[in-house]
Amino acid sequence: MAIRRADAARLVRERLRASDIVVCSLGSTGRAWREAAAPNLTYWASDPMGTAPALALGLALALPRRRVVLLEGDGDLAMNLGVLLAIAGAAPANLRLAVFVNGRYETGGGQPLPGGEGRSFAAIARGAGFARASEARDAAAAASALDALLGDEGLGLVALHIEAEPSPYPADPGPTSQAEDRAAFQRRLAEGS
Amino acid sequence: MTAAERCADLIVAELVAAGVSVAASLPDAWLAHVIDRVDAHDRIRHVRVAREDDGVGVCAGASLGGERAALICQNAGILLAANALAGYAFHHQLPFLVLAAYRGSREDRYYYQMYKGLVTEPVLAGLQLVHHVVETAQDVALIGDAMREAFLLRRPVVVLLRRAALLGEEA
Repeated sequence: MAIRRADAARLVRERLRASDIVVCSLGSTGRAWREAAAPNLTYWASDPMGTAPALALGLALALPRRRVVLLEGDGDLAMNLGVLLAIAGAAPANLRLAVFVNGRYETGGGQPLPGGEGRSFAAIARGAGFARASEARDAAAAASALDALLGDEGLGLVALHIEAEPSPYPADPGPTSQAEDRAAFQRRLAEGS
Repeated sequence: MTAAERCADLIVAELVAAGVSVAASLPDAWLAHVIDRVDAHDRIRHVRVAREDDGVGVCAGASLGGERAALICQNAGILLAANALAGYAFHHQLPFLVLAAYRGSREDRYYYQMYKGLVTEPVLAGLQLVHHVVETAQDVALIGDAMREAFLLRRPVVVLLRRAALLGEEA
């Protein structure tokens, strides 16, 4: 049975190193990661939708001594599957991808993603050239897959199947803009966070 | 060495002098020598992307991490990546360089390129992105100026390279 989104975020948090940098894509994945309140330096990728994986790739290339963990939604990844080719080609050893998969655009109201019921982001990643990509459909498999993703060396992807749970837009946009958050992220990075 | 190879040497030297350490690219026939040299350069980490908005994301991520980055593509890529460019220019405010072959301008020779020449600069104006046009390889110092300008503006700056700037007297 698929796990809840919050439990997937908690499983990731429990396995991160203190020095790991998280890039978190927009929408329900981002809201779950905020609720997990992890201490890790996190860049909230926000819009443009579909570009978080490329942003994480660029950040990993810029910071080869830090590990970058992308928390990605399946809607964001579906928007731009070709980025898996670029990531597999560059193959930065310090990049990991955890994709939250439930086949719905939760923020938009739960509309289904394109594709058939058998769609597999792990299979697509392997087809793009990822040496390590796995699918986790229950809690035990998720824990095991994340142990491997975050415990082993080298680029990898885990597709974590999560339950469908409504995740509407928050009522409040928050106190800071993306540019202000970006500046704060860069300050913390420069200070060694 | 051909004229196009000499142009490519000048352009890549300018990229390196501007501090570019990460480059993302999609091919265009006019850019072939530039991309080959970027790929071979030991001070540039080169990423081949399948869509230009991926290249925008790679450059934005590298900029976020403190590196200078450049997307190398045809101007069709600017049209395709308009939303990504605007997002990183105004929402994130991250600087990087876009180096684009300016296809479809007066010296081009193909029907299918011409619409790009008509719409590229109006689209850039609509996106409120600064751009410069390099007419010949003698003007490639604009590349370094554009990178500095991007950093000061905290947004991407676009350099459009005409055929003579990329292919030299072979144009």
